[in-house]
Amino acid sequence: MTRILALLRKELVDIRGNRSLFMPALISGAFSLLLPFFVAVLVPALSGERLSDSIDFRVALELYRAQPITTALEPEAAIQAWLFQQFLVLLAFTPITAAMSVAAYAVIGEKQARTLEPLLATPISTVELIAAKVLGAFLPSLVLAVGCYLVYLALIVMLALPGVWTVLLLPRSLATMFVLAPLATLAALQLAVCVSSRVNDARSAQQIGALIILPLSGLMVAQLMGGVQLTAGVLAWIALGLGLFNVGLMRLAVVLFDRESILTRWT
Amino acid sequence: MRAALTATRLTRRFGERVAVDDASLTLEAGEIFALLGPNGAGKTTTLRMLAGLIEPTSGTVMIGGESMTRASAPRLRGRIGFLTEAPGLWDRLTVRQNLMVYAELHGLDRPARAVDATLDLFGIRDRAGDAAAQLSKGLKQRVALARTLLHEPQVVLLDEPTSGLDPESARDLRGLVLRLREQGRAVLLSTHNLDEVERIADRVAVLRRTVVALGTPAALRARLFGARIRVVFDGPADAWVAAAEGPGILERLAEDNRLSLAVDDATLRAPELVVRLVGAGARIQAVLPEEASLEQVYLRLLEEGAPA
Repeated sequence: MTRILALLRKELVDIRGNRSLFMPALISGAFSLLLPFFVAVLVPALSGERLSDSIDFRVALELYRAQPITTALEPEAAIQAWLFQQFLVLLAFTPITAAMSVAAYAVIGEKQARTLEPLLATPISTVELIAAKVLGAFLPSLVLAVGCYLVYLALIVMLALPGVWTVLLLPRSLATMFVLAPLATLAALQLAVCVSSRVNDARSAQQIGALIILPLSGLMVAQLMGGVQLTAGVLAWIALGLGLFNVGLMRLAVVLFDRESILTRWT
Repeated sequence: MRAALTATRLTRRFGERVAVDDASLTLEAGEIFALLGPNGAGKTTTLRMLAGLIEPTSGTVMIGGESMTRASAPRLRGRIGFLTEAPGLWDRLTVRQNLMVYAELHGLDRPARAVDATLDLFGIRDRAGDAAAQLSKGLKQRVALARTLLHEPQVVLLDEPTSGLDPESARDLRGLVLRLREQGRAVLLSTHNLDEVERIADRVAVLRRTVVALGTPAALRARLFGARIRVVFDGPADAWVAAAEGPGILERLAEDNRLSLAVDDATLRAPELVVRLVGAGARIQAVLPEEASLEQVYLRLLEEGAPA
């Protein structure tokens, strides 16, 4: 544990000094934050049409009304609440993007800077090394997720109809942001660490790790189309699946991290 | 006494390519041992095997009498200090932060105190707060050596420690290495710098995939070149080549006013030679023992591929 903490501290100091790594995540975060307001607040304001006048939204609202908290809201506010909750999945992409940028450099960056060999010459085990690398990418992304969530909440309080913000406190919203997003982030960055153990450039690792965004995008589209409702039960199943996937990835990362080939084949 | 490090019949293959073949060596405490060899001779691969970073295809490495296996390697790495060819410092971390990480990775009881002591020992306390990226190459190498020795390893492996350093930094680093010998540590040094080896190494191994030769620099010289005497005349040496002929004289080479002679025993033959030359009328300015340089020894060994 001491060795994991030692290397984790180093990772965090290193990341703090390399803030450009977070630029893609900040761009993704800004996009994810602004898009729902564009759809739910700006477009109705500019067009003069109410969301609740749309037949499609009314159908969605009927499904959504199953959640007790929304019964207290006016139809227009309830549709806004529905939209803001659907777009939470998009907001979950932000920590994934941040983690991907950091994790892809986790092994390749060390190798390119020629800092990996002295590190491997210490008593650190492969599990400790990977755990520190994964946590080093995961913790900043978690902070970013909390930050994005708080900004999202603050913007909804300021710009949306009264009472809409309460949907962000529903267990389903909290689970999406603080269970689903972190588990997906963990899976993405473990994939990136796995790949970065085997390839020589960080971009390949980022591209393969980014594949985790595909099922999440599918999930969001399915939600908007009404094909899937992220009920507590569905979320629990997804979380369980992602948890198991993460355990498998951790084992795979340890197997794939071959000290010898990293030292001898990368020149 | 048990050897600090013993490598027995180390072989390492990468696919079809044999990087190191049947190399054996022993390193004693308080000894500086130099590993010489051309590029691609297998020096770095050998060091990596000795450091427990890569496994030999066959053969064994023992550290303080304990065999290096997959299970024991993490623990044994704690007894070894390995200075890699590149300093390998984290550029965005300060010198102190770099050392602190390694102190904790080695599980030192009081890492901050160990780091402070090391900073003092290596004379880098005034740069402790500087980011590693700001350091000169010589200073980076000094910090890297400090990192290598932070956990007080008994076996120290140095891969090209003075490569690319200016003469002053290289001299400082040699001083630090000599201090390690005084402290009773076993130091194995891989280098191309023959002058450096001449100055500090107790024993030398020449590696060209396998150990071509191993011994003290003096023993290797004697084995390859024998004892030599140089006579300096007051005039051309050619005139005295014939007069130098005698028992125990193996070879005579004249150049300008110098006559270089290979002899079976320099102590015995020098007085006899002087008597003969003076008797023949030669005017001698000086009689000197002549030693082949380590460079000559090294090149001869590589040419001949002599067995150890």
